[in-house]
Amino acid sequence: MSNSKKDGSELKGLPEPEFRARKRRISIVWLVPMVALAIGAWLVYKAVSEKGPTVTITFKSAAGLEAGKTKIKHKDVELGQVVSIELDDELSQVIVKAEMVKKAERFISENTRFWVVRARVSAGSISGLGTLFSGAYIGLDPGKPGKPAAYFKGLEIPPVVTTELPGSHYLLRAASLGSLHIGDPVYFRRIEVGQMVSYKLDEDGQAVTIEVFVHDPHHQLVRKNTQFWNASGLDVAIDAEGIRIDTESFATLMVGGIAFDTPVDQEAGEPAEENDVFKLYKNRESISEKTYVRKNRWLLYFDSGARGLNSGAPVELQGIKIGQVLDVNLEFNVEKAAFRVPVLIETEPGRIRTIGKFPEGAEKQKAMDYLVEKGMRAQLKTGSLITGQLLVALDMHPEAPPAKINWEGSYPEVPTVPTAMDEITTSLTQVLKKLEKLPIEQIGNDLRDTVSGAKRLINSAELQQSVIALDQTLNQAQMFVAALNTDIAPELKTAVSNLNSALLQAQKLAKSLNSDVAPQAGRTLKEFQAAARSIKVWAEYLERNPEALIRGKSKSKRR
Amino acid sequence: MNRDLTTAQAAGLISCHSCHLLCQRTQRSADKICPRCGAALHDRKPNSIARTWALVLAAFIFYIPANVLPITTVISLGKAQSDTIMSGVIYFIHSGMWPIALVIFLASVFIPLLKLLILIFLLISVQRKSTWRQQDRTRLYRITEIIGRWSMVDIFVVTILVALVHLGGLATIHAGPGAVFFGAVVVITMFAAMSFDPRLIWDTEEAIYE
Repeated sequence: MSNSKKDGSELKGLPEPEFRARKRRISIVWLVPMVALAIGAWLVYKAVSEKGPTVTITFKSAAGLEAGKTKIKHKDVELGQVVSIELDDELSQVIVKAEMVKKAERFISENTRFWVVRARVSAGSISGLGTLFSGAYIGLDPGKPGKPAAYFKGLEIPPVVTTELPGSHYLLRAASLGSLHIGDPVYFRRIEVGQMVSYKLDEDGQAVTIEVFVHDPHHQLVRKNTQFWNASGLDVAIDAEGIRIDTESFATLMVGGIAFDTPVDQEAGEPAEENDVFKLYKNRESISEKTYVRKNRWLLYFDSGARGLNSGAPVELQGIKIGQVLDVNLEFNVEKAAFRVPVLIETEPGRIRTIGKFPEGAEKQKAMDYLVEKGMRAQLKTGSLITGQLLVALDMHPEAPPAKINWEGSYPEVPTVPTAMDEITTSLTQVLKKLEKLPIEQIGNDLRDTVSGAKRLINSAELQQSVIALDQTLNQAQMFVAALNTDIAPELKTAVSNLNSALLQAQKLAKSLNSDVAPQAGRTLKEFQAAARSIKVWAEYLERNPEALIRGKSKSKRR
Repeated sequence: MNRDLTTAQAAGLISCHSCHLLCQRTQRSADKICPRCGAALHDRKPNSIARTWALVLAAFIFYIPANVLPITTVISLGKAQSDTIMSGVIYFIHSGMWPIALVIFLASVFIPLLKLLILIFLLISVQRKSTWRQQDRTRLYRITEIIGRWSMVDIFVVTILVALVHLGGLATIHAGPGAVFFGAVVVITMFAAMSFDPRLIWDTEEAIYE
């Protein structure tokens, strides 16, 4: 160090450095960490600002879900990601924590629904096939705006209808769910217009409320008086009306379905509103049946067997259905030691149009009394030969023994007549009974006596004598005829020839008549003809000039 | 260590960094230019410690997003999967490929961090004018310079994958933002190593000239 100057002087021949102006400045290199910091700060800011709300969703199972991988999507747009999957303390469900993006914060409310989208195959549809490869994701339906929330209960079944879908929801009340499932189609005139969204058992367990959704243009078809019915599966009915098969579509064969329509005979009512309640009918037939509000119940007693008569069998009047059988029972009368079949029927007077008035007003009691007095009776008839189903026919039987309605009892009792088959059977039995009463044995005996008497008569000697006598008589008659032949025949011959000559003379006379009288007759006829003509002329003249009768032939003709 | 060695600085001489021409040092505090090649003449790399510090800091800042953000996004059959460097390492460990996991871990996580830590150590020791194991410290610096470029292996792999795997719906690989930051870390660290003048390690007993 100390000898540095001296060394420098030894190397004097080396060139001096040149100089250039120097600007003192802060080293530009500090820009690099500045930029790095700026980028880092921006990253942090971005991460913080884009961090949306964290939501907690509970599911029954975490099948297909993966922490850090499973996304939350709405319309296939990523809105978040599952951060952690844990079991709850009771190990009964899975708690999924997910971080949502900032943008999702706006529409996540208490009405938001979450469900796991995975591949599902049902009879009606296949969905979520894409998730077979990409893995399950959590679907999100924003729902209606509401209070913000962070805890959600995940749906086990994906919702059928998402919030933004235009259309209307309706509630249907039914006695049972039938074969309906969530997502089943709703048909209008066999066009699929909606879907079943959910169902709920009433708290008292007495009925089921089914929620359906009808898509946008079609929801205008739902009116206040629209009727919904269950179009599930294949409706095969075998009854007195034969075999009927009805289905709404092929899909409803496998899955359920609901159909609706507004009755044609009614005017379309007001458009229905969202969440209006309708009755879900069992099937299409039950709608038309239920249109008749007024119903009368009658009790019938049949003595004959009622095999093939079921509740629901039609009650017909003149072959037209006016009601149905409600109940068929069997009754044993101890005193009479006899069975009889009480049948409760229901008639809908609304089905019959009445012309004119019943005497003394049209009250039900009087009307029916009047009809029964006139001979109305109930009778069991075979509705279908194939199925052997019976129906109840109300018909006029004027020949039936007079009877009256028994108004006592809980239901009025209408008199019945036996079945047509029964009638035949009864009369046959009667004939047989009469036949049975005939003293056939005695008749036989008498007959035998008669025959033996006859036999005796034939074999008797008197008969043989009379036969011999008869023979003689006949011989005498023969002789007589022969005598006639020989004695009378020649005389008869001459008589005939005489007659012949007489006839010839008559012929001649006729001929002379013809030649002499005929020409004269011809002339006479001609004169008659001329006379007739002149009378005709005169008559015609008189007709034209009737005054000629009084005035004579006028000269006006010449004028 | 031979204390009697004469350095160019001690002899009042400057060596040109570009053409290694030996010049006389003057006392004028203006920018010196090499009379032969025109390059700026310095006793030592100018502002070496400050520059290195700046670059090391920048590399450290970038090191965080490089490891946090996904380096690749593999879209296979509609299933997108983003991987950071560490998740890739963990994936390889889980699938039993220890050597690959080790290579990736060494090249992508361990070495960049090691380099940064070595540089910081060298900087601090130089600033403290430490005379502790100067030779070993110089060796550390050399190692840093040599292995620095190998950290780029990760970036090369990503680049090749992105270019090669374009199988449409079957599989596609995108480079993630982490790759950019990782590249930045490697490059900036290399610059930092370059800007550090190892001669400073030996300058402890002399006045520092710039």
